[in-house]
Amino acid sequence: MQTAWGWLVAIYLFLGGLSAGSLLIAVLFEFYKDRERHDFFPITLAGATVSGPLLILGTLLLIFDLGAGRREPWRIFFLFANFSSAMTWGVWLLTSFIPVSLLYGFLEFLDIFPKARQWLKDRRWLRWTSFLWNLPLRRTKRIFAGVGAVLAIGVATYTGVLLSAVGPAIPFWSTPLFPGVHFPLMPLLFLVSALSTADALTVDIIATLFAGGRFPYSRRTHLIHLALIIAEALLISHLLLHAFGEGGAAAESARQIVLGQHAPVFWIFIILLAIVFPLVGHIYAAGLGWHMLVSGLSSGISILLSGLFLRYLILVSGVPAFL
Amino acid sequence: MPVNISRRRFLGLAAAAGVVAVAGVPLLKKEASSAEEGPKARYALIIDTIKCTGCGACIEACRLRNKLPEGLSYIRRIVKGNERNRWFLMVQCQHCAKPPCATVCPTNATYRREDGVVLIDERLCVGCRYCMQACPYQARVYDEERGVADKCWLCLPWVLGGGLPACVEACIPGARIFGRADDPQSEVAQLIASGRAKPLHPEFGTEPSILFYIMQEE
Repeated sequence: MQTAWGWLVAIYLFLGGLSAGSLLIAVLFEFYKDRERHDFFPITLAGATVSGPLLILGTLLLIFDLGAGRREPWRIFFLFANFSSAMTWGVWLLTSFIPVSLLYGFLEFLDIFPKARQWLKDRRWLRWTSFLWNLPLRRTKRIFAGVGAVLAIGVATYTGVLLSAVGPAIPFWSTPLFPGVHFPLMPLLFLVSALSTADALTVDIIATLFAGGRFPYSRRTHLIHLALIIAEALLISHLLLHAFGEGGAAAESARQIVLGQHAPVFWIFIILLAIVFPLVGHIYAAGLGWHMLVSGLSSGISILLSGLFLRYLILVSGVPAFL
Repeated sequence: MPVNISRRRFLGLAAAAGVVAVAGVPLLKKEASSAEEGPKARYALIIDTIKCTGCGACIEACRLRNKLPEGLSYIRRIVKGNERNRWFLMVQCQHCAKPPCATVCPTNATYRREDGVVLIDERLCVGCRYCMQACPYQARVYDEERGVADKCWLCLPWVLGGGLPACVEACIPGARIFGRADDPQSEVAQLIASGRAKPLHPEFGTEPSILFYIMQEE
């Protein structure tokens, strides 16, 4: 079992996925045809505004996890240097995604609250920004939404690429998507989990709280979330079965997860809270067409919690190659 | 008085500056490497697991020479075999020709010298510990005190001065053989040529270039 990375990195991987996923969910609704007919839309508002701050929090945790880089912060600039390192790709992605998502969230906020826009426009000390207020708000916002969505797919998958790039050193992390094909499973699993956790935050929790669960396309949204939960379950079972079949360190990782010291976390937080419980909640919601308060909150919280524990579980069960 | 410069002239100057900068980089690099150029040695360290008793003298000698805290060493002992035939595999940095630790190091702190020795520039290391994950030999150690990743550096200053790595000097049963693989007369070159000394786990694809092992029959 690897000990170099612990909870801080697990929380960062979770927040990175949640942030990127939230922006993707917001953008998906942003580009719906009749989005313009709704003045107040909690899903886009929540998804766009939480994305940037969540990733800033995650990045701070990551910096706090560094050794010499924490004590001598200027060393962080060296992180941009090696273009063959997956971590350098991630650092570039984070530094470009954070400002885009912050701006998109700010513009979405201004779009939904015209009074705030007016208030800012009237400030004397902001008079020099007058040329900005003539820009078409919606179109400017959508440009940031589009750019942000592309970067968000990068951020969500990169957290998986970071782990799978270690190759033969930790075979469990570099499990291929298809046997014999040199394409890792982890980035796809992290992307699906990112979308699922973000859906839980923006749709299951925020939309249920602030819109009573009734919003346009809610049935379709719950069906999509149902598909995400099933896809995650399939990917996790494929990951474990492939690891068992491969033998060696990968099989030891899978054994620790299913039967060994991490089994309680796996059966409670992954099987129960990530799959069984939200599956029931979303079949119910998709049938009904909207979430009841209890089903929305409970399945939302369980998916968020399980998303964090999924990252933690994959990190701690990374058994190094046997020598 | 403002200097009047036409747009065309400015673009021309900028382009010229760009060409000079791009052309200059390889020149600078070449100069830097030629300054370091000496006789290109190729070292080899062979560990004979048939002779190794697993006493751990190398582990302690390494710790003392590199002034590492108690319990930390660049060498790690793995117990192999069964109850009837126990043997020991001493693992340290294999100085790979394709070091994955250098590939994943985001700051380029890890680099490979011309003679094949893989080193860490401590001033560049941020302590992200990605190299520890990527090394299939788990040869990296993390120094909490300095907050940097660390590993075997083949006692390079001693070796360049004609001496030996601490682990070789300390080995009681003489299971560690150090020498220059580029000298065909040397013991290490002959052992490698005979095929008795082999790299550890070549299937990892990292092409260990300095450490070789004479393995026990399992």
